Amino acid sequence: MAHAAQVGLQDATSPIMEELITFHDHALMIIFLICFLVLYALFLTLTTKLTNTNISDAQEMETVWTILPAIILVLIALPSLRILYMTDEINNPSLTIKSIGHQWYWTYEYTDYGGLIFNSYMLPPLFLEPGDLRLLDVDNRVVLPIEAPIRMMITSQDVLHSWAVPTLGLKTDAIPGRLNQTTFTATRPGVYYGQCSEICGANHSFMPIVLELIPLKIFEMGPVFTL
Amino acid sequence: MAAPPEPGEPEERKSLKLLGFLDVENTPCARHSILYGSLGSVVAGFGHFLFTSERSCDVGVGGFILVTLGCWFHCRYNYAKQRIQERIAREEIKKKILYEGTHLDPERKHNGSSSN
Repeated sequence: MAHAAQVGLQDATSPIMEELITFHDHALMIIFLICFLVLYALFLTLTTKLTNTNISDAQEMETVWTILPAIILVLIALPSLRILYMTDEINNPSLTIKSIGHQWYWTYEYTDYGGLIFNSYMLPPLFLEPGDLRLLDVDNRVVLPIEAPIRMMITSQDVLHSWAVPTLGLKTDAIPGRLNQTTFTATRPGVYYGQCSEICGANHSFMPIVLELIPLKIFEMGPVFTL
Repeated sequence: MAAPPEPGEPEERKSLKLLGFLDVENTPCARHSILYGSLGSVVAGFGHFLFTSERSCDVGVGGFILVTLGCWFHCRYNYAKQRIQERIAREEIKKKILYEGTHLDPERKHNGSSSN
């Protein structure tokens, strides 16, 4: 989960998120250099004593400041498109979970092996145990295996919601009447948090998502099916 | 504030953010690129001034940008190669541990194909 006042990305728990963090670092370095150049140009503008009121054109400069940004955009676009197509790769998911947004909770359906369906409500502050996270912990977590491709089918029963887990690099809109799909493979076990990411009413901030990722061996023993 | 690290956990390095957003301590290759860029900027600017005795700030800034960018791409390319090699090594070690002594042992397959 994020720590207080965190600005940067969370550590990656899936290969796609690792790629996204790499791309973010790459784009940020380019942004830093552009900002540095602009600050230098601003400094020169403010401190120069040169004045020439007869400049009529500057063809060379205009050529440079057209071609250079085009090159920079290509340098940013190529890795971006690579990751975009990577997220759409078909990877043969071994498990499919349906996630349905409601005002203001999530319903999860494990229908591959039996008909397990449950709701996931945020724990009200009065019901928190010591160590629980305020506004993040839920009564029923989504228990999933690591190192197995998982398909999430996301939709909504009422208004727009969005199912997001930052550490996995996931954010998919839950749209009523539409089924959206996203896949992921988690690389390490743990408890990971997300929050609804599309304004959906008074309690939009109070319908978190909690994934409990466990080793496949333990998942196969069926802890999730003992609810 | 972040939770204090557990004993045995590596301490997260204090972040130094250039222009308020580029975290050079925790971004791989950033510190290395910025340092080499600064060195390149000084060398280019000072060298230009020595040879021409003209204002060399522009050359210095240009040198900084070009050297930083060059070091950055070079370092990130090597970092990506290293990550791929680490991932392959991790997978092979895992396969070896899981399948050692069985018919799926990768070493047995490799020795079998080389003796044929």
